[in-house]
This record gives sequence, C-alpha cells and structure tokens, in this order.
Amino acid sequence: MKEKNKSITLFILPALLFYAVFTLAPAFGGIWYSFTNFNGLNPNYEFIGLRNYEMLIKDKNFINSILFTLRFVGIMVILQNIIALILALLIETRTKTKTLFRTLVFMPNMLSMIIGGFMWMFIFTRALPYIANILNSEALNVSWIGDPKYSFIAIIIVSLWGGVGYLMIIYVAALQGVAKNLKEAAMIDGANTFQVFRNITLPAIMPAITIGIFVTLNNSFKVFDVVYSLTGGGPGRSTQVIALNIFEEAYSFNNRFGYASAKSMVLFLIVFVVTLIQLIIMRRKEVN
Amino acid sequence: MKKILLLLVSFMLVASLSACAAPQDDAPRKVTLKVFMTFPRFQEQFEDYFEQFKVKMLAEKNIDVTIDLEMPISDQADQILKARLSTNDAPDLFTLHAIADIPSYYEAGYLSDLSNQPFASELLENVKDIVTYDGKVVALPLESLAWGYLYNKDIFEKYSLTAPQTITEMNNVVKVLKDNGETPFLLAFQESWIPQLMTALAIGGVVTSEKPDFVDRMNAGTASYTEIAKIFDIIDIIMNNGTEKPFEVGNAAASADFAAGKAAMWVQGTWQAQAILDINPNINIGTAPLPVSENVNGSLINLSVSTSLALSPTSKNKDVALELLNFILDKEASSALFEELKFNPVAKFHDYEVFPWADEAMSYVALGRGYRDLSLPGAVTGEQAKLLQSYYAKTVTKAEFIATIDEVWANSLE
Repeated sequence: MKEKNKSITLFILPALLFYAVFTLAPAFGGIWYSFTNFNGLNPNYEFIGLRNYEMLIKDKNFINSILFTLRFVGIMVILQNIIALILALLIETRTKTKTLFRTLVFMPNMLSMIIGGFMWMFIFTRALPYIANILNSEALNVSWIGDPKYSFIAIIIVSLWGGVGYLMIIYVAALQGVAKNLKEAAMIDGANTFQVFRNITLPAIMPAITIGIFVTLNNSFKVFDVVYSLTGGGPGRSTQVIALNIFEEAYSFNNRFGYASAKSMVLFLIVFVVTLIQLIIMRRKEVN
Repeated sequence: MKKILLLLVSFMLVASLSACAAPQDDAPRKVTLKVFMTFPRFQEQFEDYFEQFKVKMLAEKNIDVTIDLEMPISDQADQILKARLSTNDAPDLFTLHAIADIPSYYEAGYLSDLSNQPFASELLENVKDIVTYDGKVVALPLESLAWGYLYNKDIFEKYSLTAPQTITEMNNVVKVLKDNGETPFLLAFQESWIPQLMTALAIGGVVTSEKPDFVDRMNAGTASYTEIAKIFDIIDIIMNNGTEKPFEVGNAAASADFAAGKAAMWVQGTWQAQAILDINPNINIGTAPLPVSENVNGSLINLSVSTSLALSPTSKNKDVALELLNFILDKEASSALFEELKFNPVAKFHDYEVFPWADEAMSYVALGRGYRDLSLPGAVTGEQAKLLQSYYAKTVTKAEFIATIDEVWANSLE
C-alpha cells in the first residue's frame, strides 16, 4: 500500500507543484494584499485591516459591475442552456451529418475568446454596417459596440457563440444515455414528440442540466476575455463586468493593488458560494 | 585506471586555474550596465549610439562596457519595470513617464538625485522644470512634447481658414467646414485616453488663464470642478460636430481616417503625427492650441515631458551609468541622435531641424502661449477618460460628471 501511495504522489507532484506555485501562492498573496494599501510599486505599504472592504461596499462602480454581471449571468444561464439543448436535440436527430454539425458547433469553443472578440469586433463594426447599407436596414445599422443598449446584446451574442459548443457536447452525451426502449414504449402508447420529451427525456437528462447550469454560472461570473476584447468595458463603464473592474483598479491609472485584491476576494467568495451550492445539490441527487 | 584518469583531469583543471593571474594594470575594467527602455521602435538607433559610447569609454577611461539593452513593448513595460523595482532587481538605467510616474517613483525611493550632473545645467528651462521634483532633477528628459490639436493644413487652406484662437473663431471655422461638406472633428473614442486629451487641454487652458491655483485648491479639498465647468463649451462643440460612431474607431483607424482627410481637425498630440505621415506622406499637418473661451490667453500649447531616463540608486556601477546618462546629452553626439529619433530639443545646444508642426507649436510657446502639463491624480485622469465616453453616450450629465470627478479627486487624496 505504501509503495502505491508513494508512486501516486510522485506522479502528481509536478502538477501539484505547478498548481501550488502559480495558483495557490498568488491566491494567498492576494488575501494578504487585500488587507494592505499596496500600490504595486512602493515596497513600503501599510497593513490597513478591513478598510479596503469597507470602501468596496460603498464603491458605486463596483456595485454596478456586480449588478451588470448578475444581469449577464442570468441571461447567459437561461439562453446558453436552452440553445445548447435545442442544438443537442437537433444534432441527435441527424444521422448522416451528425459529426459534421457537432464539429461546427464546437469549433468556436476551441478559439481563444480574445481572438473571438476581435473577430466579432470586425463583424460588428465593419461587416454589419456594410450589409445594413446594402439591405437598407435601419435595424442592423446601429452602433453595436458604441451604444450601451446594443453592446450588451453584442457581448451576449459572442459569449453564446463561444460557449454553446461545450454545453452541447454534455447534452449530446446525456441524450445518448436516455433509454431508447422507454421512448419507443411511450410512442407506441400514443405520446407525441413533445410529451415524450417532457416526461421521459427531460427527467433523464436532469443531471446534465444541473451541470450545465452550474458550469455556465461559474464561467459567466468570471467573464473577462470577451468583454475586454469587444468593448473594453465601455463606453464609459456601461459594460464593465466584475473582472474588468478589478483589472482596471489594479493596472490602469488607479494602481490600487490592495483594493483590487480585496475586490477579487469578493468575487472569489461569490464563485465559492455558487460552487458550494452546486456540490451540495449534486451530492443530494447522487444519493437519490 | 579510472582513478588515475580522474586525478589527471582534476590536476589539469587546477593547473589551468593558474592562468587566471592577478589582473594586470593595463587590462580594461569590465562593466555591464543594464538599461531598460520603452522604445522598441528605436532599438537600432540606441544600439548604434551605445556603440559610440563604448568606443569613447574604452579610449578615454579604459573601461570595457557591455550594455544589456531591454526594450519591451510599452503595454507591458510598466508592469515589468514595477515588478523588477519592487523585487530589488532594478536596472541601472530605466525609462519612466515624467509627469505620470516621477511622484510615485520618487516617493518609493527608486530615483536618484541628478542635479549636479553636467547634463542638468544644459537642459532647457521648461523641460528641466518638468523633471524636477522636491527641488532635485531626478530624470533625464528624452521625449519632450509641445502639443494642442492637429489640423489638416490642406483643408484649412482650401477654405482660407486659419487656426481659431477663441471659441467664436472656432464656431466660425466649424460653420465654414460644415457648409462645404467637410467634417470638422475626427472623433475616436474607443480608446479612452484619446477623449481624455480634450479635458487635459481644456482644463489646462482654463486653469492657467483664469484659476492658476485650482489644482492646489483641489488637493486641499477647497475647490470643485463647477468652477471650471466652461471646459464643456469646447468639448460640446467638438462632440457635436464630429465623425459618426466614434466608439468603433481606435487610434490606428483614426490615424488612417485623418490621413485620408475624413476630418479637418483631430484632438490628438504631435506624437501621432509621424504615424499619420507614414500612412499619407503628402498630408500637411499643423498643430494649434485649443481655444477654451473668448480669452486668447486660454488657448495654450501643452508642454510636457513623457519618456525620461532615470538612474537607480541601487546601481552597482553608478559612475559608468552616470557617464552613459551624460553621454545621451553629449554636446557633440547628442544632436544627431535626437534628430534621428525625431525628438524635440531638450538641451540648449540642440540645434537640428524639427518637424513643421513642432516648429508651429514652439512658435506659440515663444509668444507665451504654452503651459506646463498639469499634475492631476492618476485616478482623476482615468475617471475623466471614462466619464467623457459616458458623456458622449449621454448616460452621464454635466452635473454628474462634475460631482463624480470631485468625489474621485477627494478619494485619491487619502
């Protein structure tokens, strides 16, 4: 037994070391800095206790970014899962072109979202106005990036484009696990497609739906690349998500590293609570 | 057998050590200098210049200098430098932004006093003033700037216009341009630092001509932006008479648009002129001060210094580093370097030819129409940039703008 443990430890040691040095150590560093007024430059910083946390409760921009991120998360969770499920159902019904469509829908997920953001930037600022001119359509000819109302929609579109593929794969796997004989029995008994779906398929893929919801929740709270490359949080602060607010607090004109670290702790707590709830619910379902 | 071989090899190694005799008196002293500069586009020119320095040092002082030149892209340079400084791995010489960085770097103890160096007495007065902090010269200015807004001389000539000096004249210019189907201003608000130039110039003009102690009083907490609310007069004119969809135009796209003559004026600094010229070598660019009121003395050219070279107090080869620093402003070699880099003159002996727009800007300064770039807190500059974007998008009113900036300034004083 001891020999086996030793070899297992040796195998995971490199990855563990990497994780400890590049993820855990900075995280603990962040916790320490959140109690100081470090500005990223001056080695003489002071320990100021909970003052950073007191400040961020009153920080209007931070609160607004949390509210904006919540809006984003709400819409993403609903839309991303519904679209992924619909795509999974459609792909499952294909016989010949199944793999082709699966690959096509999953491809955006393989791109870095920064690249995706810049690609869509070109589409929104050059391609769409051009098409709108040809078709003489007023509806398309809006400032997708510049108008605060439409930049939100632009971010949703690009995030969905990038994220749907991953969820779709999960749902495809779940759908393949639904017992075919149950479905056939129901159809023989006279149920139409919608009733089959609601009463047999849906309950069977509930675990996958739970996973899908929580994965989207987690990732949407931490969204950064898409917003950074598409709008940069602008115009002004109208599309500034939490991660961007923290990024700018630390690295742009403000240089308030300590304060930004405190804000990161808040984001960490939010994601931590969500993950905790997810684990509890998953465990309860497993017992069932 | 193995043991004998081992013994033989180790004996030979030890014997070869004896070749490291005591340093002879006429062998040159070897020194390595680490230089950190944020000019990747000028790498060649600086390397050539450092070659001249090495030759000079070997000939005059018998020192063999190796220069380790680091030139990261300016995006990451700031962070890299800060990381190196705070972990005690400071380069001997490094560049920083004079107006933005000197206060915080000085307070953190990363700059040395260079007031007694030969180059310090050769600096032009207004340039020397900007690299002086706490009564000491703390950096050698490299890039000095004299800027207002850029205008297309060809378009202005076509309609017989001259650069406006007051708001009334500006309104006339705008009217003539619009009547002839030209767009008066180029608006490029995607990168927030560009609209921020408008507040920089407008505040500079209003404060210098009407409220010279404004910044001090803001720092003491006894002033408010309502006193300088008239900056919105020129800002409104610019925003209401500009190109469409400014949030989709970044710096590069805007330079291309200006080079193509899409607008007659662009609130952008002279540092961008070279890039515009690269796109369209036939364009004639002029610089003029931005009018803020009916007072001609409020329409001023901004004088500032951006990239400057500083010496780290923890440098292990201070004497050689200081030689290099002084060599950058060497009476014989420096003019050629500055001319090649197309920098403005910073020393009294610089006598090379500059760009026409630099001359135009300096002609205003010679008439007393220049002001030293104001030192606003970094948080205020950043917030102004974002608020201007929101102001254009009409999600923020003038009153909210003023109230928010007052609050941000007060917070930054803590």
